[in-house]
Amino acid sequence: MTDFDKMSRREFFTITGKAGLATLAASAIGTNFGMVQVAEAAVGKSKVTPFRFAILTDAHLFSQPDHKFDTMLEKAVNDCNNMKPMPDFVLYCGDIAQNGLDDQLQKGKRILSKLKMPLKVIPGEHDWYLDMGSAWRGHFGSPTWSFDHKGVHFIGMNSILVRDFWTKAGMSAKERMDVMEMLESPIAGPWGVREEQLDWLKKDVKKLSSDTPVVVFTHSPLWDYYPRWNFQTEDAPEIRSILKKFERVMSFHGHVHQTVYNKIGNMGSVGTLSTSWPWPYPDVKLAHPWSQMNRSDPGNFEDGQGAQYIDLESNFTAMTHYQPFGNMLNPAMKNGFKI
Amino acid sequence: MKLTTKNRFNIVMGLITPVALLGLLAANPAAAREPFSADELAAQEQALLKQVNHGRDLWHGTLPSMTTNGLACGNCHPDAAASNPQTFPKFQANLGKVSPLRDMINWCIVVPQGGKALDVNGDDMIAMEAYAFYMHRGKKIEPGLATEQTTPVVVKSGRGFPWKGSGIGYDK
Repeated sequence: MTDFDKMSRREFFTITGKAGLATLAASAIGTNFGMVQVAEAAVGKSKVTPFRFAILTDAHLFSQPDHKFDTMLEKAVNDCNNMKPMPDFVLYCGDIAQNGLDDQLQKGKRILSKLKMPLKVIPGEHDWYLDMGSAWRGHFGSPTWSFDHKGVHFIGMNSILVRDFWTKAGMSAKERMDVMEMLESPIAGPWGVREEQLDWLKKDVKKLSSDTPVVVFTHSPLWDYYPRWNFQTEDAPEIRSILKKFERVMSFHGHVHQTVYNKIGNMGSVGTLSTSWPWPYPDVKLAHPWSQMNRSDPGNFEDGQGAQYIDLESNFTAMTHYQPFGNMLNPAMKNGFKI
Repeated sequence: MKLTTKNRFNIVMGLITPVALLGLLAANPAAAREPFSADELAAQEQALLKQVNHGRDLWHGTLPSMTTNGLACGNCHPDAAASNPQTFPKFQANLGKVSPLRDMINWCIVVPQGGKALDVNGDDMIAMEAYAFYMHRGKKIEPGLATEQTTPVVVKSGRGFPWKGSGIGYDK
């Protein structure tokens, strides 16, 4: 029996929909959703029971009704519901909204509620900086969480925290959001999970044995891919250091809107497809160039986007499958790849 | 060398052509003027950078008529990446013909962004092109490559071109 097995889908959305009660409710059923709740090690020294989970990310929903991005998120949700075998749960890696507006988050929650399996969510910068995460927390609870499932320890953290650039400048909430919306804005500076979450992470994994399979989710990559576009997390070295005691760690991230793989030490890192638009590859020599997808067709709105699912095996190898809407995978990725 | 009729013609033309060119230059004082002064060059550069900066603003959504669905050029093309200006003119499958960059810019404005096309000869279009090309300065000109994504200049900070900065946060 696992954390997710213990609750019905209705119970899960009830929990995620009541931010103030999320941690309390989660504690009541033995699940670790909040920063105040540190995971007790229930995994390790045992094999993983094979299962599948799926990842959706970066829908960037606008407020207009019937926007094309609504359709693409709906399509990805439908793809998840029709996967065989069906994923045990879906992880959403941030940027449900484009402008941080509550109606955009509400729309995303409404579309994601059509998933037939439980959902866990972490925020992106587009969700956060209009009201500093207030509406997002109201819909999805704490941005920092962990849970155990079939022998694997899953961790989610908020990696888009920046230093305060707006107070001294006297910026409005909208002006702050505008700065954060631009990928190449020079104003905001580097992102990170910061001290509070680093302390939480230390406590969260303290009692886990080194053979515990660990999967970590963040919006931004946990490696220095291309800092100019925040394709990095400033305190990723500290995160990797905290997690270095584990034999193997898998990291999945949103934000990059593209396929990409990297490995540093014990941590394999996978970027994920969005459901909004694909981003170009920066002028960086990839250590694993086979993980670069083909150039998207600008005449096909769906090209270069989609969902992804991961099949975890009993020895904690993972077959990662991108499931694009269009045909943009190179041969090395078409049938999935092991991490 | 035996002087054939053809050789004689080439020798005569070889002597005449430079003289004729010199005559043309003398008749066109603008082409033969002394190098520009430092002030003139600075003024020219400022004029260019003003257009580059205007293009950068347009690229990021400052002209409402360019979109009806909220999307701006910068959404898909941060720092003008993957706009590939140095590969134009080239055959654009979506336009069905060999096209200049400005036609592709207008296609993006009209189709993915649902906006109103820019005047192809207007200052706004010139600014858009100025920004895209400036962000690819020094890149090899290779018309006709449609399948590869090229990269712009690597930008460490700021806007990718000389810019005074806002003084806010990291934009110093």
